[in-house]
Amino acid sequence: MKLYINLMASCLIASISYAGEIKLQNPSTNQQAPDFSGMNTYGETIRLSDFIGKPVILEWTNHECPYVARHYSENNMQTVQKIARDQEIIWLSIISSTPGDQGHVSPTKANELSVSRGALPSHVLIDELGEIGMLYGAKTTPHMFMIDSTGVLRYKGAIDDIGRGMQFFDASFLQANNYVSSQIPELIAQQALSIDSTAAYGCSVKYNYD
Amino acid sequence: MKNVILVCSLLICSIVAANPVETGHARASLITNIENSTQESFYVGVRLEMQDGWHTYWENPGDSGSPFEANWKVSDGTVVENVEWPTPVTIPYPPLMTFGYEGDVVFPFKVFRSLDSPLEKINLEFNFLICADICIPESASLTLDLSSATPNLLLSEAVKELPTNFIQTNSSNDQENLKVSFQSSEEITSAYLFPKQDNLFIYSPSQKLVKLNDNTYEITVPLLSSDITFFSGILSLNGEGFQIEESLQSVSSMSLWQAILFALIGGLILNLMPCVFPVISLKVLSFVSMGGDDHAKIRTHALSFAGGVMSTFISIAAALLIIRSSGSMIGWGYQLQSPVVVGILTLIMLGIGLVLLTNINFAAGLTTLGSGVQSRNDYSGSFFTGVLAVVVASPCTAPFMGAAIGYALLQPSFATLPIFIALGLGFAGPYLILALKPQWISALPKPGAWMETLKQFFAFPMIATALWLMWVFMVQTSGDALILLLILSLVLGVAVWMIATFKGRWKWIGMLLTVITAFQIFNNLPASSTEMKEDASAEKWSLDIESDMQSQNQAYLINFTAAWCITCQTNEKTALAREKVKEYLAEENIAYVKADWTNRNEEIAIGLAKYKRTGIPLYIFWKPGMPSSKILPAVLTEDSLIKSMQ
Repeated sequence: MKLYINLMASCLIASISYAGEIKLQNPSTNQQAPDFSGMNTYGETIRLSDFIGKPVILEWTNHECPYVARHYSENNMQTVQKIARDQEIIWLSIISSTPGDQGHVSPTKANELSVSRGALPSHVLIDELGEIGMLYGAKTTPHMFMIDSTGVLRYKGAIDDIGRGMQFFDASFLQANNYVSSQIPELIAQQALSIDSTAAYGCSVKYNYD
Repeated sequence: MKNVILVCSLLICSIVAANPVETGHARASLITNIENSTQESFYVGVRLEMQDGWHTYWENPGDSGSPFEANWKVSDGTVVENVEWPTPVTIPYPPLMTFGYEGDVVFPFKVFRSLDSPLEKINLEFNFLICADICIPESASLTLDLSSATPNLLLSEAVKELPTNFIQTNSSNDQENLKVSFQSSEEITSAYLFPKQDNLFIYSPSQKLVKLNDNTYEITVPLLSSDITFFSGILSLNGEGFQIEESLQSVSSMSLWQAILFALIGGLILNLMPCVFPVISLKVLSFVSMGGDDHAKIRTHALSFAGGVMSTFISIAAALLIIRSSGSMIGWGYQLQSPVVVGILTLIMLGIGLVLLTNINFAAGLTTLGSGVQSRNDYSGSFFTGVLAVVVASPCTAPFMGAAIGYALLQPSFATLPIFIALGLGFAGPYLILALKPQWISALPKPGAWMETLKQFFAFPMIATALWLMWVFMVQTSGDALILLLILSLVLGVAVWMIATFKGRWKWIGMLLTVITAFQIFNNLPASSTEMKEDASAEKWSLDIESDMQSQNQAYLINFTAAWCITCQTNEKTALAREKVKEYLAEENIAYVKADWTNRNEEIAIGLAKYKRTGIPLYIFWKPGMPSSKILPAVLTEDSLIKSMQ
């Protein structure tokens, strides 16, 4: 019986990975954000809908990606996380790298990274199958999503405006317009944001494409 | 400094200026195709030989990645242009898709130099993102001494293979897909459209290629949003790249049925437009005067009127098709670009006004109005009122109608006719209903003395229309020509008075007098118009003004207008010329551009066609940050205009 279930499960997984063109979803802003559940680094199941009543920010991350690395090494991402925490916003860092690929980490390693980098996420979710990533159409690391306290998706896109092109590695974060931190007041007010959608930049999310 | 340390710590740092340079996962070198020191323009190229499995990106990298950055250091008198991108390939990482280059690639840059400066060293700081599964920013400092460089064939080949040729495409979109059709005499087995703009297409699904007929192909590109107005980029056919650029407009997504529906609604609304309303009111009055008793008579009149409307619309459609087949660019309202037509319309309007005031009782009273000739059969009067109503309606492009007519004129002829018929049906709709249900006429007030008063009152809107047309005429021609038209108006006045006052012979003398004078004066009318007066507050439009301004990051508002377009004039008064709007434009540094189509102008017609329009008003707005310009509503108010620019 157990074998049968295992067989079923592996068939299911196989059929998912061989379903031809895997389609990235593209949720619309100012509409209900798609609900999801995932495992955090402490083995707890985290469900988006559990946070109704508080705004939620999703951050797709991969600590080995040079774009992400720069955001953390210059304390930029942590600054935004701090602003969010002070406003009682839930911050979910999501790692959708497939096992064996860049950025994939064990829960312990993920927690170590949070400590060593001074990161302040409410939870880090390990999304090995890329399910949450594909549900949100996460393309890059970093890729940011902002959800208000009623569960409406208010923003999707880049963290700031200095990303497209190689100038990212020269530009100063001080000159950047940070789409996330600058729009937190509007997010809390449950308003449509002035800028609700931008093209994300960075490394590709390391989905399982083999 | 911190950045340098970071970047260096992440990758193999190569700051030493050399040529070639190993960057970690590629070898970069600077090459040229200059052959002798007398060349004013030539190319330099960055050759990137990437390790197997590694790639770098096109200007739009796709779902992730980044194009390279090239910082040149050259001596005065030398200018290096932006890179001319080679045709990219798709580099899929399902469910993501990126666009770029693999293996050995050469990026050509055009160089201009003045011959009085010596050939010197050029330096390049080349920063690029190179990716396999993972991405690494790498860089190279490259130096090339042009005085001793030898031409490199690889660069000449790369230049030869650049996607410089444009391919004509014809696109339309629905909610989910953009369909792009193009022609090729070669057998096409693979095609991919690489868009320059972000956030327009979903990149990763394959773009389905279909052969429509002998040499016409179509690809289906999945859209991120149906709100697409413009795209440009490279169409790669069997690996060979072609430049493409196309403006789309909501009208292109319109089906024939939608266009017909818009035409119906547009025609109906046309009844209420200021230039038509008086004529229509008269028609309604004539129905009232018939009272509710003779249904058959009302029915026949209503049908005759509708017949007049329909046949005029069909004639216009036929005329437009004939003109179009001769290759001319034409548009709705174009007939008013001729001062002679405007002059005749002025006199018709004035004539109607005078007749209304002077109690001339033609055979069947009001119904013959507009026929211009005394008619024995009063049904033909109704018919000609229909014709007249369409003629005077021509300058008014009602909302909806612009899009429908634009669509009609750009479609094959079989689609043009139904749209014009729908327009006519919409316009004649109320009367057709009356023909079906003549008893409804009794819902209107009973005939009586009030009708005479109202009839006389309607003279004034007609005369007002005549005054407006005179102004149009003056703008088109000159003050002198206007005087001629005014004299003609006086003669018309005398003629109408004679007809109204005298009987028999004198009446005919009056008619004759009018005809002779009219003929004389028309002979003196200037055939072509004088230079237009310039609006000092607006910039002059030109065909490439949009791309110029976009490249300078200058926001703009373009107003396609004409003196004869009453909707345009109304918009100027109620929105564009208002202080609040002017202040807003000045504050936001939005350039105000006016394209005046009062006189025939092929360039403006082409400009309109870019937006799939053939008529005006048309307002175009763009500001930095918008992927493409947008079309503002045809009817503007101060607030709606400002809001649509925010």
